[in-house]
Amino acid sequence: MDPITLRLPHTVQRPQELTSYGPTTRTTQPIVTGTSVVAFKYKDGIIMAADCLGSYGSLARFRNEKRLTQVGEKTLLGVSGDISDYQYLQHKLEDMITHEYDMDDGQSLGTKSVYKYLSNIMYGRRNKFDPLWNAYVVGGIDNGEKVLGFVDMYATTYSSDTIATGFGSHLAQPILRRRVEGRTEQITEEEALEILDECMRVLFYRDCRTFNKLRRAKVTAQGVEISEPYSLETNWDFAEDIVGYGA
Amino acid sequence: MSIMQFNGSAIVAMVGKDCVAIAADKRLGQRALTVSTDFQKVFPITERTYIGLAGLATDVKTLHDRFRMRVNLYKHREERTIEPKTFAHLVSHMLYERRFGPYFVEPVIAGLDKNNRPFVCNMDLIGCINYTDDFVVAGTADNNLFGMCESLWEPDLGPEELFETISQSLLNAVDRDAMSGWGAVVHIITPDGIIERELKGRMD
Amino acid sequence: MDFMMHSEQQNQLEPTQAPVERHSHNQWNPYVDNGGTSLIIAGKDFVLVASDARQSVGYNINTRYDPKAYELSNKTVLATSVCSADAKRLCEVLEQRAQLYYHKHERQISTQALAQQLSNTLYSRRMFPYYVFPLLGGIDAEGKGAAYSYDAIGNMERVTYKAFGSASALVQPFLDNQIGMKNQRGAEGERMLTREEALRLAIDSFTGAAERDIYTGDWLDIFIIDAAGVHKETRELKHD
Repeated sequence: MDPITLRLPHTVQRPQELTSYGPTTRTTQPIVTGTSVVAFKYKDGIIMAADCLGSYGSLARFRNEKRLTQVGEKTLLGVSGDISDYQYLQHKLEDMITHEYDMDDGQSLGTKSVYKYLSNIMYGRRNKFDPLWNAYVVGGIDNGEKVLGFVDMYATTYSSDTIATGFGSHLAQPILRRRVEGRTEQITEEEALEILDECMRVLFYRDCRTFNKLRRAKVTAQGVEISEPYSLETNWDFAEDIVGYGA
Repeated sequence: MSIMQFNGSAIVAMVGKDCVAIAADKRLGQRALTVSTDFQKVFPITERTYIGLAGLATDVKTLHDRFRMRVNLYKHREERTIEPKTFAHLVSHMLYERRFGPYFVEPVIAGLDKNNRPFVCNMDLIGCINYTDDFVVAGTADNNLFGMCESLWEPDLGPEELFETISQSLLNAVDRDAMSGWGAVVHIITPDGIIERELKGRMD
Repeated sequence: MDFMMHSEQQNQLEPTQAPVERHSHNQWNPYVDNGGTSLIIAGKDFVLVASDARQSVGYNINTRYDPKAYELSNKTVLATSVCSADAKRLCEVLEQRAQLYYHKHERQISTQALAQQLSNTLYSRRMFPYYVFPLLGGIDAEGKGAAYSYDAIGNMERVTYKAFGSASALVQPFLDNQIGMKNQRGAEGERMLTREEALRLAIDSFTGAAERDIYTGDWLDIFIIDAAGVHKETRELKHD
């Protein structure tokens, strides 16, 4: 009898030996993926952005993915990488939040706790050689302190004033270094939004797995606010001047 | 392991005040086996230009012979001694000629030019030149040498100070590298002549 | 330092690729090299532990301040290198075990006992090692500076000085020369440094390393541990 095979986009074709043996399967590659998340600290808290695309290899397959979510009261989670792994994790986070609510002790989980929980899950899965194929950005305000952390599939963790995942680490991070580093406390919300849009525009121009429908979100002392999807103004006039590559 | 690490070597050159120094270890090995402890890796090209060749020993010998021929031809045609910088370009060209089937050597060149100005450079196996005004290193102990030179070297060292600096740099670097060592030789090039000294090092 | 790798396929890199470790067969490689360098120097009545704070992957710098040396107690510091995720977990585990010891025996764990504990912890993961090369510094039972160095699977040695990490090849020969007095005629064995000398050597080592090693730089955390406790200072290194 033929084994049941999963059809994958040609760009992420699985090696033959993985489809032809045994029932145990692991994430050996991502399937539906989200690209960069960009986040940084500013005067009032944390600001973050991600687009709404769930790519299936090179196919722009799902065009209304929500890659920014609220966790607990004052924590924001941004995700890039495999969307199904992320949705699995979302369930785990919801369980944790529900459990915490059921305690009914007037306490809620702070950003640092959420970040630690997430890091521990990632480390545990890495140790099982069965990673969650993601890079997460956790932002929030914990006891009045701004927290912005990163964790990836290897459970590498770090905190920084500016964080960008995936292509963003090459394209957005230099912009953030220039405009944000060393002056987080001076950046107003207005400027923060402008910086964020600049980053997302560059990513839209140069990262092929992006989409001009995105969300941004902020965490301030007032709580989390995630925007509805919006689009950026783009200008493709420069395309006229591109010579070569068959153009 | 790369062919560049087959025989093992450590070469360093440093700039001093109106002088330059070049030093090398003396080991010849075949991977971990030491075959000789008296292998020459630094060669005089003119009276005040020296070249050190780190890498595959057979290419070290071949190239030394070829350089000697080319420098002699230069001398006959030009009726003058080749300058260190000119020689560096000659080496670079000869290596780039073999761009897609290279000699497996990393050359280090040190000398004084006609105005007694120190000249030091090194290049990769296909002749990409790197000029510096401090020090250059090559061979299997290159990282160790970088660490030593970066902390011991300072500008404007006289010949004897330079000798001590380059000797300490080389000896301590090769002692942490299994592929090089077994004695060393140092050449200090000054306007008044060459000081050549053999160093005793650990033989293990 | 490569546990799960077949060395033949190592040198097939794209020109723009960073020399990161690659896995040859079809299993996912759980190890990452995050770079960075750690250093330890033991003195008569103190021990100095220093680590740079850059965290990187390939040619990307993740952050400029992610400390690799941790204060486990008010008399021990653990410096790590290579895989940051494993390093952080190892420190947590060790801290937990030190606390467990405290509650069990109603006294703080001695440096020697903690050093052995660290070795056992590393060896407990013999078949799937923590990709970490730790250095442990503290004060021993006689009040002397104690420095311990380990490999990733728990081989332990008490040392007077040691460097680990991406710039270890640059720093170790320098320490051999300046503290071990190697190749210095007339010198008899290792030197016992004063605090000021140790501090100066640590700073010189790291400025040299930051100059030539792209994985070392940004900030330098220096801990000096003596009978009075742990004194920490942070210095700037090159940011490029």
